[in-house]
Amino acid sequence: MARVNNWQLGREMSYWYPESRPEKQFAAVFDINKCIACQTCTLACKTTWTSGKGQEYMLWNNVETKPYGFYPLSWDLKLLEMLDGQQWSPDGSTYEGSTIFESAPAGERVLGWRPEDEDYAYPNVGEDDCAGQIDGGASLQMPHMAWFYYLARICNHCTYPACLAACPRGSIYKRPEDGIVLVDQGRCRGYQECVRGCPYKKVFFNPMTGTSEKCIACFPKIEQGLQPQCFVNCIGKIRLAGWISKPGEEREDNPIDYLVRIRKIALPLFPQFGLEPNVYYIPPIHVPTSFTRQMFGPGVDDAIAAYKKAAAEGDDDLTGLLGLFGSTEEVLSRWNRSGETITGFNDKGEEAVRVPLREPVSIRPSYDKLYQITRVNCP
Amino acid sequence: MRKASIIFAALALAAAFAASGCRGRTVSPSEVVAVPEQEITLDPLDDAWYPLPYHPAKLILQDLVEPRLMEPSTAEVEVTAMTDGKDVAFRLEWIDGSQNDLPGPQAFIDGCAIQLPSKQDANVPAPQMGEEGKSVEIAYWRADWQAIVDGRADEISSIYPNAAVDHYPFKAESLQKDPKKQQEMARRYAPARALGNDRSGPRKQPVEDMVAGGPGTLSPASPVSSGKGVRTDKGWSVVIVRPLPAFLTDKQSANIAFAIWQGENNETGARKMRTGWIPLVIRRLPE
Repeated sequence: MARVNNWQLGREMSYWYPESRPEKQFAAVFDINKCIACQTCTLACKTTWTSGKGQEYMLWNNVETKPYGFYPLSWDLKLLEMLDGQQWSPDGSTYEGSTIFESAPAGERVLGWRPEDEDYAYPNVGEDDCAGQIDGGASLQMPHMAWFYYLARICNHCTYPACLAACPRGSIYKRPEDGIVLVDQGRCRGYQECVRGCPYKKVFFNPMTGTSEKCIACFPKIEQGLQPQCFVNCIGKIRLAGWISKPGEEREDNPIDYLVRIRKIALPLFPQFGLEPNVYYIPPIHVPTSFTRQMFGPGVDDAIAAYKKAAAEGDDDLTGLLGLFGSTEEVLSRWNRSGETITGFNDKGEEAVRVPLREPVSIRPSYDKLYQITRVNCP
Repeated sequence: MRKASIIFAALALAAAFAASGCRGRTVSPSEVVAVPEQEITLDPLDDAWYPLPYHPAKLILQDLVEPRLMEPSTAEVEVTAMTDGKDVAFRLEWIDGSQNDLPGPQAFIDGCAIQLPSKQDANVPAPQMGEEGKSVEIAYWRADWQAIVDGRADEISSIYPNAAVDHYPFKAESLQKDPKKQQEMARRYAPARALGNDRSGPRKQPVEDMVAGGPGTLSPASPVSSGKGVRTDKGWSVVIVRPLPAFLTDKQSANIAFAIWQGENNETGARKMRTGWIPLVIRRLPE
């Protein structure tokens, strides 16, 4: 085991291979507050990549209802139980527990488990089920007394992938040019060690080809400077793809850096597992943080406070940048705000999109004097 | 008095066997003996195997590299061998109470493998998959490949009989009249097959030839081996036939190693029971 720096844990940790950060790292921010679980992302991915034999059950992208939705069943709970209640330092700066690499039992490369086929049979069991009963006297308050939220998930293209560490024959690699993690379909022999090792259960065994397959971050699109299918088909515009800088090299004009490292409103999924996942979530504001702290780490309270303040107190930079989500198919590697206009730039430095800080609002009178009719105010 | 009656019973049993023409199988305790024969057989149940001496190879855990097998499973594999001077056939028989030949998530396949050094050398390669500069040749048999070769449809319905599939793009009506286009499309949705990964089928042989130069380096080799496995009342009986190595003659012995995977015990890849090197000789049966 090598010692590597995991900035999400605020400390060094053990990993199977030495630290080797890619030239650029694919990363994304998902705003959970905007997701309506329409599953358009799921279908966009499914029809693009996993329509083959043996891929029937695979959802490289899925959306599940928390707290009771899972795909596969109990994917997060099982590992949390195996890790058995680990702790962060009181100030939240350092993870004091053990990662899945540090907790690996004798004879294993990582701490993991493998779902059985029935665990994939309920893609979103508990869909829209609240965390509690609605009783008499209930009222709408923040956070909600009874709540659920939608968690859209793809492969996290981790800096320290457990799938890669778990593969005994080096069939999984992390591309040095963009940090995308891929299973080499020419080399994989279907041992399912990656399925066992990935805590997010985002590698799937294909029983017809006998190999394991996973989300490829639509790399043929990324190579053309375009965002993946699940991003551009998202009707809620919850997603933004880009690049996260190496720790210490973050830039204010990089949209991902700004949201993740500078304003810290977007947080990794289960950072305590130790993989340095690169899909970051703006946590749901209506959910008690006693729940979301476990899922997104100790930064949840500050992230929610900053997110809520953005609109309420005229934080134009943050509000403006959130307006770039879902505004273009191009990957945005740079952005700026000039007054009421926010501009996104592609990898070549060219202007890709321009959005207003606030969408102009027009209110039509309900009675049209010219035609002498009452309008039905549907969009 | 008691001792005398036991001796009498043993003599009676021996006489009964002799009268029926039935002889017990011969054990070769310390080496695998490949017996020269006019013809070799691919059939594990062929009577030709019966008179040949078998070697009961003790299996040990693969416990050198992660992921390891931590609890021993299959204890022993009985190996019988014959050669026609061109090829050599090995019959491997082991006890396995469950038949595991359907692949799936968390479903693993029964299998076995034979391993020989790629070339004869005074310093034999490490018995666990060889080592750098000292490669080993492996022939690997799997129960699911055997089932497909024996006629099981290579379809998802073979694994999940009640599977309901809405649509495969390569089954689109527009492609029905053009099988070539249809195959191209199907390959696009089976990337391992499209890349020519021998692991991913479609299978014509239940045995795959490979070469390795250390753990984690297993790579495909030119297909030269064949095989056939059948389920017995105790477990598996599998014949693997491969070319006789040039360095193995009736005057020069070689080394061979075996591995067994028990699917029910989630054994796959490095999680297996295996042997160390075992001497392999060519020797005629005594007249």
